[in-house]
Amino acid sequence: MSKFPAIIGVGRTRFGEHYERSPEKLIEEAWLRASEEAGIERKDLQAAYVADYFLPITNKFGLEEGFLSELTELHVQMEITRSFSSALSNACNAIQAGRYNLVLVGGMEKMTDRWDKIRDDLMLLEDPWSYYAGCTPEANHELMLRAYIKKYGIKDSELEKLNYALAYVAVKNHKHALKNEYAQYRREITVEDVLKQRKAARKPLGLYDFAPISDGATALILASSEVAQKYTDKPVYILGCSSATDYITFSSREDLTRFLVTRICMENALKMAGISLKDIALVELYDQSTVMEMVSLEDLGFAREGKAWEAIYESYQNHDGYYIIDGKRLYVNTNGGLKADGNPLGATGGAQVFEVFKQLRGEAGERQIELLSEPFYACTLELEGFGTKGYVYVFGKELR
Amino acid sequence: MSSEPIERRVSYVGDRLRGSKCILCGKEYFDLRDYCGNCGRKSYGKMAPIDFFFEKGKLEVCTFVNRPTNKFTKLGTYIYGIVSFHNEKVRVPGRLTDKLWKEDDEIDLSSMEGREVVPRFRRRYAVKKSEIVPTISLAFTFADEYYLHQEYKAIKPNMEYEKPGIVGYGVYISRFRIRESFIERSVPFIDEDAITAAVEAGKLALIHSGVDSSLIGKVYVGSESNPYAVKPIASKVAQVLKLGEEDKADGVQYVDAVDTEFACKAATSMFKDAASLVFYPDSHVSCAMVIGTDNSQAAPRGAPGGELDFFVGYGGCAFIFGMHDVIAEIEGWHSCTSDTPDFWRRDGEPFPRHGGRFTGDPAYFKHVGKAAKKLMEKLRLQPSDIQYFISHQPNIRFPVRIAKALGFKDEQYMPGLQVARFGNTYSGASPIGLAAVLDIAKPEERILVVSYGSGAGSDAYLFRTTKQLPEKRERQKFNIQYQAQNPYIEYVDYGTYRKLKLGLETD
Repeated sequence: MSKFPAIIGVGRTRFGEHYERSPEKLIEEAWLRASEEAGIERKDLQAAYVADYFLPITNKFGLEEGFLSELTELHVQMEITRSFSSALSNACNAIQAGRYNLVLVGGMEKMTDRWDKIRDDLMLLEDPWSYYAGCTPEANHELMLRAYIKKYGIKDSELEKLNYALAYVAVKNHKHALKNEYAQYRREITVEDVLKQRKAARKPLGLYDFAPISDGATALILASSEVAQKYTDKPVYILGCSSATDYITFSSREDLTRFLVTRICMENALKMAGISLKDIALVELYDQSTVMEMVSLEDLGFAREGKAWEAIYESYQNHDGYYIIDGKRLYVNTNGGLKADGNPLGATGGAQVFEVFKQLRGEAGERQIELLSEPFYACTLELEGFGTKGYVYVFGKELR
Repeated sequence: MSSEPIERRVSYVGDRLRGSKCILCGKEYFDLRDYCGNCGRKSYGKMAPIDFFFEKGKLEVCTFVNRPTNKFTKLGTYIYGIVSFHNEKVRVPGRLTDKLWKEDDEIDLSSMEGREVVPRFRRRYAVKKSEIVPTISLAFTFADEYYLHQEYKAIKPNMEYEKPGIVGYGVYISRFRIRESFIERSVPFIDEDAITAAVEAGKLALIHSGVDSSLIGKVYVGSESNPYAVKPIASKVAQVLKLGEEDKADGVQYVDAVDTEFACKAATSMFKDAASLVFYPDSHVSCAMVIGTDNSQAAPRGAPGGELDFFVGYGGCAFIFGMHDVIAEIEGWHSCTSDTPDFWRRDGEPFPRHGGRFTGDPAYFKHVGKAAKKLMEKLRLQPSDIQYFISHQPNIRFPVRIAKALGFKDEQYMPGLQVARFGNTYSGASPIGLAAVLDIAKPEERILVVSYGSGAGSDAYLFRTTKQLPEKRERQKFNIQYQAQNPYIEYVDYGTYRKLKLGLETD
């Protein structure tokens, strides 16, 4: 492909509660940081693709494009999508088609402005039928775990190991977030903390197994590969991108222990990038819960079906910031993941790309991962709903 | 949710658990579909409607919800899971209902997974009193506990009678009870109300009668606790139970449905209308259903009208009238009415009031006595010619006193006296007494039932059982005895009873 899109700058806000700030202020901060890094002016932008799930509900906004236009004094094409990955997908398409060569991709969410009703909103977004039947944002994760345990016949000491492995996921992500200045939770938690919360909830998963509700914004500047070289000698290329869709009602899907969309996306994205799974050293995946991190490792192909928890458990025995799966080192969610970095829906995918961008350029500071081999590739996985929609992106430093 | 079209679509599918099945590949779906995802365009017009309303499913996996979303907060804690039907061909989300979880209850999810469950028609979640009452059948209970799974089979009728009569009946009493001194009363679960009891009773009557639901031409629902001041319960019953011929394209049932109100005789009053309707050949109505249902209202103790709070119950009772395969023929009826304001509830008021001194004499005793005597006179019958006597039962004292005054003996009126087991179920009270007698009566026995409705009036009916009564009994396992003495009954204290009774209202 002649026109691989390239990221030339990224920016984000801290994730967490921004009680005093409006969504406009958040996206402004993210966009200013990204444009500064890219070294561009707003007039250089030819289009903007911006994501948010809930602003019309949480902040009573109608046409988000309007305030973006006020903010940037831009009168170019603007499109609003749900997830950041969806916005990025549109931007990639435009650049690959040769229509534009410099665009803004952004995402924002202000979930805490509707603290008292957001769980109902999240459920209606996920699936109305499940909502009507009494589902909660946590329940389907727990059902998936139950189905997983049953399918693979995990019991007794193995089940205990699996429960520990899931706790390690949360502990690991909090540990990573310690080094992330933008993360929502920059404090360590212990396995005991996670288990205690499960016990308090009287459930297989507890408070520390789930990503929080967050505010935040992220942005990146995407350019065609030719234009990118004018601005930076260290662009990060999007080598593969893929999206897939599945039934909205979780219970209607054939297999309750995996996300079909993830498998399809990963396969297609790798094919497009022309690399193989073993070339990927870093993955930022969508850990809305610890179960999702475990299952995604299998769906993406890194771990064998029904075995991811073993790899997580073994890796943790002498944890060094990465998993060892089948003898290979894999870094997962080095920014702290959704669990600790935060999960402001529309902005979340942007934080994943932010992390990959910094790591690939060797600019991740304290979080910088140790690269054993070059070339070095990374991927992101973002899901919408409970695996109803999926996006996988593959990133690299060199054009192939 | 107060959007009317969304509410219509959700309850149309969710109340009956409607689905579709591809005739070409056999794939099944929950929800209505015009074509099959597997077969694509060639499956247009080849999707057969199915539903899971009378079926039993299997709880595949489940979890415990103790932090529900806002609209479910009133339901407290519950089990949520995935239920499969037809050997896992189709799966639906659902919650388990009829279970109160205590703080220190041990929750063993694996002991629940894999068990058979039955869909229950319930309120969906809490809404304001001004909003549409949302309902759904994605609520389940275990098939081997209180509520049994019973197959519904439409059976071709084989015998026509000269007189109209009862062809089947069903009684629905909730699993929860309160026991105080010598009286036990039924208590709705928090997601139950007069609408859900009406549907349950009607469903049980269909199962018992074996009547094809499409043959029912009219349904009457008598109640004084309809959550709506304007909007019938009967329309919900007609749609959920698919009464009358179904116009599938537009989701319309070709049936007449109406709610009636006359305090506790709202249902019994319509027995004669149902019987006349099926008897009149040009009506072309084979069967008519009459339901008495009430989540009997009472102000809390100490408040005006609170004296009722010692007696009120919850339940529904449905009778199907027809000319074929009759189990009890109607030999005659007689009603009386006077304008006696002994008990009333003004529009907009939550609880009824009692006129105290009027309630017994000259209200209850006068009307019940006159209607009963007149009917016996008309039919030239003595109490000794009648095997069973049932009257309206707001408490234990009244029906016993009137039975004795009319000359009936203990063995004649005791079988129909159910108030000490279920409480006063208002419109359902004397019908439940009648059902209790039909549960045990032999062929060729006479039953006198006299209702009483405040306001005031009484309907007296004389039934004569037929030889088909015992053979149909086999079809109904969920009978009065089963519901009165069941190991799964759960007793609650007064505070819980009040909370459950007020139900899923947020204001």
